[in-house]
Amino acid sequence: MSKVETKRLRRELYPELRELTFGFVSDLEKCMQCGKCVGACPAAAVTAYNSRRMIHDIKSGNLQDVIESEELWSCFFCSTCYASCPKDINFPFTVAMLRYASLYAGYGAEYVKKIIPYAQDYYARGLTVLQPEKNPLVIARRKANSGTSGEMGDIREKMGMPRERTVSDEALAEVQFISDVSGMTKLMKRMLDRRDAAPKTRERLENVDTVKTREGKFAGFPEEQENA
Amino acid sequence: MPRPEVMARIPVDDEYFLFRSCVASNKYPGMESSTKEVFERIGVGLRESDDQTCCAGFITFTSVAEVTATMPAVARNLSIPDQAGLNTVTMCNGCYTFLTEFGHFLQHNPPIMGKVNEMLSMVGREYTGESQVLHMIDVLPKLQDRIAEQIVRPLKGIRFATHYGCHYLYGFKKDAIDDPFTPTVVEDLIEVAGGTPVDYPEARTCCGSGLTQVVIHKEDLSLPHMKAKFDSLKEADVDAIVVVCPYCLTILDRGQAKMVDRGIAQHEVPVLYITQLLGLAMGMDPVKLGLGANVTSAKKFLDKLERLDRSRATAQAARGGVPRSPQSPASSPSGETTGDGGEAANA
Ligand code: SF4
Ligand code: SF4
Repeated sequence: MSKVETKRLRRELYPELRELTFGFVSDLEKCMQCGKCVGACPAAAVTAYNSRRMIHDIKSGNLQDVIESEELWSCFFCSTCYASCPKDINFPFTVAMLRYASLYAGYGAEYVKKIIPYAQDYYARGLTVLQPEKNPLVIARRKANSGTSGEMGDIREKMGMPRERTVSDEALAEVQFISDVSGMTKLMKRMLDRRDAAPKTRERLENVDTVKTREGKFAGFPEEQENA
Repeated sequence: MPRPEVMARIPVDDEYFLFRSCVASNKYPGMESSTKEVFERIGVGLRESDDQTCCAGFITFTSVAEVTATMPAVARNLSIPDQAGLNTVTMCNGCYTFLTEFGHFLQHNPPIMGKVNEMLSMVGREYTGESQVLHMIDVLPKLQDRIAEQIVRPLKGIRFATHYGCHYLYGFKKDAIDDPFTPTVVEDLIEVAGGTPVDYPEARTCCGSGLTQVVIHKEDLSLPHMKAKFDSLKEADVDAIVVVCPYCLTILDRGQAKMVDRGIAQHEVPVLYITQLLGLAMGMDPVKLGLGANVTSAKKFLDKLERLDRSRATAQAARGGVPRSPQSPASSPSGETTGDGGEAANA
């Protein structure tokens, strides 16, 4: 990154980061680089992940490096760093929001693709975790432990519960409406389209339109906004 | 030690809105059945609604649904207890985090709250933020005396470890019911149920999963955490682990099977949700408690309980007293009997 760019980012750090993170920037400027968070962090214990260094990078204007890094995807979201931080910096929120920025810039799709079906279930059924179980190990053990077929409907029935938890049709329609108007449905479609597409087009953060333009708006991808 | 100032803020209501959890409903239904039965026995109402959907936290924090989409979804869910005039009890650290954080965010960002309500008004709803969002372990300590009255099968001599999970105590280090690093609320409840809380060195260690072990993280990152935790549990010689979150339940329950399957470790410690523990001590039928939905077998643990019941019965008989057995129905405030016994437990 050129000196000029670095300076620009530094000057604009807060507006830019705020935009990226929907206001969840968690007061990074208060960080005193003590490293307590790293000492407590389970991700740092097993990888090169280092929250203190990431904060340092962000504050020094190297947002691009953070967005591109694989480490961004190592955080477990356990909040131990927040619990240990003397300055009450809630770093996992920043990580969560930076991951969106990373996705918008064309990185990280490999980390989210397996989650897409959960979002599809949420859209179709109003619930993210559904009954069907793919893991044969789980079914076999549940079968042995419950004295049923091991299928959830049967287990619930044996317990005297309705076979299924239901979500009302009205609720489903409302959730789908919210998903459609807020851009979530589009985002899902876009991710599905991209899921197997490789190689990704990686763009410099400054050039990603959504990052610059979406503050205060319900987001969509740039081309979709144009078409709208 | 529960914090007095937080305890003072927790409302004790006649009825709460029970915020159902996807994982509880579809993977560990015993969490739901035991919660309902425990509350019924202590005479506190729980209202549910089929209009409530998933909190959408999972898909948000795994980056597939943007906050701009899930914030209105949070507001929509909370508009249900808002309208009913009830405070909300969540069974899950994740639901709690998501509803609380986004609720606060909306209330402190009026322009965004306005936009969200604009969207909700199109489906005839409004979010006011009046319903207080509470965690199960905010509410249970406040009802401790009523719980104690209903304990008919004290879990004497049974050793319980706790796993509080990260997203409640760590994430809400200032507003949670207890200190993030040295909590005792669950231990207190274990004692109320007659059990023995056991400390172990890795008690506050994360299970290694966060939200995403199954999907984002490679097993070789997360299983070592889990192994360290279970090795330390083994040394402490515990009969069961008590959790306050369905996600912790899932990871700890299934993780053991995974470690066995991968030949990493041989642990078999049943994992119970807090209301399952209380339900057991109130004499609830283990079938209804839903321990069969667990992947890690609870058989050894339940056998131990049965031996305990038998020795208690023998001792009672020797004294010539009439045992206050789990079968004796607990009475509900309306005077009807709600006990459906511990037949299976004693069979
Ligand atoms: S513990 Fe807090 S202040 Fe210290 S390095 Fe980490 S984020 Fe910065
Ligand atoms: S939330 Fe992320 S950064 Fe913080 S301690 Fe946990 S893994 Fe580390």
